[in-house]
Order: sequence, then C-alpha cells, then structure tokens
Amino acid sequence: MAGPIIQIKDVRKRFGRVEALRGVSLDVNEGEVVVIVGPSGSGKTTLLRCINRLEEYEEGTIVVDGMTLDNTNNINAIRSEVGMVFQSFNLFAHLTALQNLVLAQRTVRKRSREEAEKVARALLAKVGIPEKAKAHPAQLSGGQQQRVAIARALAMNPKIMLFDEPTSALDPEMIKEVLDVMTSLAKEGMTMVVVSHEMGFARAAADRVIFMDEGLIIEQATPQEFFENPREERTRLFLSKILHL
Amino acid sequence: MVLGSTLLDFVMEEQNKGPGRELSFVVGGEVNIRQDPWWWLVVAVAAIIGLLVILWPVPFRDIVVFARDGVLVTVLVTIASYFLMVIVGLLGGLGRISRNKFIFGISSLYVEVVRGIPLLVQLIGWYFVSPVIIQKLGLWLNLQSLVEYRANPIITAIVAITICYGAYMSEIVRSGIQSVPRGQMEAARSLGMSHFQAMRHVVLPQAFRVILPPMGNEFVSLLKDSSLVSVVAVADLTRRGREFMAAHFNPIETWLMVALLYLIMTIIAARVVSYIEKRSKYERY
Repeated sequence: MAGPIIQIKDVRKRFGRVEALRGVSLDVNEGEVVVIVGPSGSGKTTLLRCINRLEEYEEGTIVVDGMTLDNTNNINAIRSEVGMVFQSFNLFAHLTALQNLVLAQRTVRKRSREEAEKVARALLAKVGIPEKAKAHPAQLSGGQQQRVAIARALAMNPKIMLFDEPTSALDPEMIKEVLDVMTSLAKEGMTMVVVSHEMGFARAAADRVIFMDEGLIIEQATPQEFFENPREERTRLFLSKILHL
Repeated sequence: MVLGSTLLDFVMEEQNKGPGRELSFVVGGEVNIRQDPWWWLVVAVAAIIGLLVILWPVPFRDIVVFARDGVLVTVLVTIASYFLMVIVGLLGGLGRISRNKFIFGISSLYVEVVRGIPLLVQLIGWYFVSPVIIQKLGLWLNLQSLVEYRANPIITAIVAITICYGAYMSEIVRSGIQSVPRGQMEAARSLGMSHFQAMRHVVLPQAFRVILPPMGNEFVSLLKDSSLVSVVAVADLTRRGREFMAAHFNPIETWLMVALLYLIMTIIAARVVSYIEKRSKYERY
C-alpha cells in the first residue's frame, strides 16, 4: 500500500472548555509499532480513540487505510479493520471467552459458527489460554481477561491494533503475560498504536516513541534516542519522573 | 398448626443449607417444593380455600362457582396487559435513552404525564373518552362502523393498563440499560458492530438480567391493580364478588374468599418469578 496506513492531520478536539487535542499530526506506516507516552491529561487516549472514531473531533482529518473518517464512509467498516484493546478490558460479561471472540465474527464478518469458533479457539491458544474457552469473564484474572480482549480484537483480522493503556488496570504480576502477547504481535508485523506507561515495552518493541503533553506532540524518536538522548526539556522532565532517575 | 410448623421447618432448613446450596436450586430445571420452601405457602392457601369450600359449601362453594369466570377475566386482563406493556416499556425505555431529541422528548413526556395520573382515573378516562374520540373520527372520515362504536370494557381496560404500566416499565428498562457499563457498548462498536447489533447482542441481554426482578414485581402489582377494571364494567373477580355480595348480603364471606383467590394467584406468580430469577442468576456463571 502506498503511503502511511494512518494519516492524522491537524486534529483538534475539545471537551467543553478543555482542549484535549490542539492540532495533532501523525503518520503511522504499515507494520510500524508506535508507543505514545505522556502525563495523564495529555490527550494520548483521546487521540487513540479518535483513530476509530469512538471520539469525534472538531477539526482536522484522519485517514485510515485509505478511508477518511467522516460521515460519508461507513464507520463500522473502518472499525472492523481496527482492533481496539481497552484499559478496563470490556469483555462482554454475559458471554464466555469463546463467545466473546465469536460474536463480532458472526454479526460483522458474517462467518459461519464453525469457522468463527475455529478462529476463536486458535486465537485463545495463541494468547495462551485455550483451556478458558468456556469461562465467563468474571471467572478470569485481569491478565487473562486482557488476553481474551486482545484475541477478540484479533479475531476480526484487523490491519491495525490500538491499545489504550492495556496494562494499567492489572496487578503487577499479570502485566508481563499481556506484554508478551503484545510483543509477539509486534514481531509478527502488526501495525500497532499503543498508549502505555510500560517503558520496558516501548524500549523493546517500539519502532517509534511519541511524547505528548497538553494536547500536542512534543517529541518523537526511536526508542534509543528517546530514552537516552531526549531533545526537549519537557520530555526530559517527564522521563526523570517516571524512570526514577 | 401442623402446616404452620412444617413451613417454618422448611424455611429454617433452607437457611441452614448455606450459600453453596443455592446453585442446586435449578440444576434439575423444574419447580420443586423441596427446593423452594415458599411453595408451602401456596399449598397452605390452597388448603384453606379447599377446606372452606368443602366444610361450608354455602356460601364459599357458591362464591367460587359464581366468580370463576371473573378469575378467568382477571387472568386474561393481567396477562394480555403485561405482554403489551413489556413491549411498550421496551420502546419507551429505548426512547428515554435516545440521542434523538424528538424521540427522547416524546417518551419522556409520556412517562412523566402517565406516571402522574392515578390508574383508576386513567381507566375511567379512557372508558368514557375513547368512544367519543373514535365516534368523532368516524364522523370525520365518514365511516359508519366507527360512528356506532361503543366502548368494549375489556379492551379499554387492557389498553389503559398497558399505557399506565408501560410508563413504569419504560423507567425500569431505561435504568436497566444504563446499568450496563458504557465500555460494553464501546467494545462492541469498536469491533464494527452497528448500534442496533451492539444493543441487541451485548447491552440488552445484560440489562435483562438486571430488570428481571422489578419486572416480576410489576407482574404481581399488575395482577392486583387489575381489580380496578371492575369500575369500568369488566366482570373480573372483584366485580363478580361485588355482584355476589349484593345478591346474598354476606360481605365478610365474599371478600374473604375473593381475597384468598387473589392471594393464591399472586403468591403463585411470585414463586414463578423467583424461580426464573434464580435460573437466570445461575446461567451467569
């Protein structure tokens, strides 16, 4: 495909009086892993949610896989190409893990039950919990729930995966199992945009790290440059706070 | 006192079994007296009715025979209005959370106005007002069949109860839908499901479990409130009781039996509701 798979141009978004995004532009290439970091309230989650239009923006344009996000395009078609993983998992509470993976395949992709279940079982195996197919979300640990949520998004065969602080709601001992799944996904060449505070993941898996503050992109660089030689004063201040230097 | 102490025994026994026991309530999937001790109350009330009828056929047997068609009318009105009002409530509840200002406005106005007027007043109102409206409509459209319309008591009663209870039901449905976390809808939409698909497959099934208990309460309330239809010439249990009393001048026996007949219907309904509740709880895990 020619050009970046995600093109964000000068996007602005306000919540009442607060300007969450103050003109953000960003291109993401196919197969690239981009990690967005920044203090809370910097607009990074809002930016992520704009990419599949869970949040509407007032100005600017976003083009995903050649389709412009506006009212002329079918938003459901775009969303089915863009997987989203939430901080609070948001598994369907009334369905088993397997049914969580099957539902959208059946209703959106119109796959047969057999095919959808086959895909679902393969993905549950891939995220390491094939034995939990019949468990309800309430019976799973946070780490297991988040892995099911990742598998649920992957079941749609998305071209892009968005992660919104996927490990922030997890107990420390469960963070690794989720990051491992994400790392292997990155290695397979999935296009990923990840909002996260996991600097270890950013260092290991990211192609590019983006630092946002107060609704603007302050700096972007390769992980090595970003962590070892940040150019901006605000980036240095942020890193010094979270890396406990 | 034998019956009373047995009932107590069962209640105590059931409490002693502890939380682990609850799951086995429903495994068999059938209504079982041993598993739900309150069924003994149903048995007790039925026994009292039976004893009264056998020991004193006059007047108790006469009352039951006289009022049995009234019982049927009461059951018919209750079930028909319940069915319709659940549909109205579902639409009203969806309207109350609609982002479309017109739909939201109409459904809110409906709920607020109807909830503020007593059911009895609504019943009488529809009984006298609806024929006038339909006859006027007939004159306007020049349709003779409409001009000659006379109020059908049972249909009027069902419509009035449906409209009234539909308003309460709308609020129950609305609160049930709003009790489902926002993230559920967002997750469904992020997978590419339409709003309708997400509502149907993700939000409503979860809301249904929340609204099941209040829905059951509504059924029991509706059964009791159906006695109000007796004022608009519907020959339900209450009206038949009044007719019997007027003919035989024995108010105490008549209203005792009418009360017992209502009681047996409501406690059976309450048992069925609690059975369904337990079943749906079990399916959650």
